Amino acid sequence: MTLHNLLGISLEQITPAKETVRRLLDGAARHIADAKVGAVSAETRFASAYTAIRMLADVGLHAHGYRTLTSKPGHHQTAIQTLPTTRGVDSQVVIRLDKLRKQRNLTEYTGDTVPESAVAECLAQAESLSTVALTWLQTHKTELL
Amino acid sequence: MLKKRQSLLNMHQSLSAVLLPGYRRRVLGLLLLRPDESLHGREIARRTGLPAGTLTRELKRLAEVGLLKQEKRGNQVLYSANRASPIYSELAGILRKTSGLADVVAEALAPLSDQIDAAFIFGSVARAAETIGSDIDVLIVGSVDFGSVIDALHPAQAQLAREINPKVFSAPEWRTNLEKKNPFVTDIMINPKIFLIGEERDLA
Repeated sequence: MTLHNLLGISLEQITPAKETVRRLLDGAARHIADAKVGAVSAETRFASAYTAIRMLADVGLHAHGYRTLTSKPGHHQTAIQTLPTTRGVDSQVVIRLDKLRKQRNLTEYTGDTVPESAVAECLAQAESLSTVALTWLQTHKTELL
Repeated sequence: MLKKRQSLLNMHQSLSAVLLPGYRRRVLGLLLLRPDESLHGREIARRTGLPAGTLTRELKRLAEVGLLKQEKRGNQVLYSANRASPIYSELAGILRKTSGLADVVAEALAPLSDQIDAAFIFGSVARAAETIGSDIDVLIVGSVDFGSVIDALHPAQAQLAREINPKVFSAPEWRTNLEKKNPFVTDIMINPKIFLIGEERDLA
């Protein structure tokens, strides 16, 4: 799947901007920190870690000059599933991230309880993706940092 | 436990029940989904919970039309799936997606079973209220981590052509939710389940 093929379907083209990258990276870092606050519910910590994952996936698209069309359904899915293209993320990781996305939908729309195991996995993936994002930017797009 | 599992399995067999009469479905479900196993009549009777007399006639008929293979070992006759049957793969596919569904999920979790106290299917599939393509909701109580469960179940999704949504609770977390009467957990407790590992009393 090339990103260009998804233009108009789930992606649109943008001009990458340093400020946007910074905002998304800072936002992801805040959400990762929030996901570690033991005093709040597992649902909130999970949602926070998941938001960080989505923001970090969006940084990947942004750095390539794209963003998801939020007017189209499935824009979270697009951001996650383009990670192998935008960052060289392993497909095994994408399988896990996609399942976390599904869990997030189940939780938000049916009120399912979030187990601690899901919070732990979501947080671990968010932290790992954060490292991947920074390394990738430092190697390929220093001008955006 | 086998008996209970069998009765719970029957609950969600509505689709395959319409397609195949009861005895045939159980025999084919057992043998076609384990094509590498050869079993004798008594063993098949035990595993399917069917009376030996009726079963013998059923096995003979299935062997006559080439769906099963018959081989003599000593004074026993062993039966197994006949992969050479022209409809073997299609029939096995139908069984896997209907009555064999729980077996496929249980097999996928088997490598993690030492870290799992109990695992079961809940939701629409367990209630036999599923539609084609309903997600399979799986709940696991144990020390296994969520990521390993996702990895283990992933290949089974393609095999069943359905999404599997696991939830993994540690044993203490599960107990806390039970004691606090968490609505999600309470709802699961009073609704049908298809056990894959362990049994109902492991949850209390």
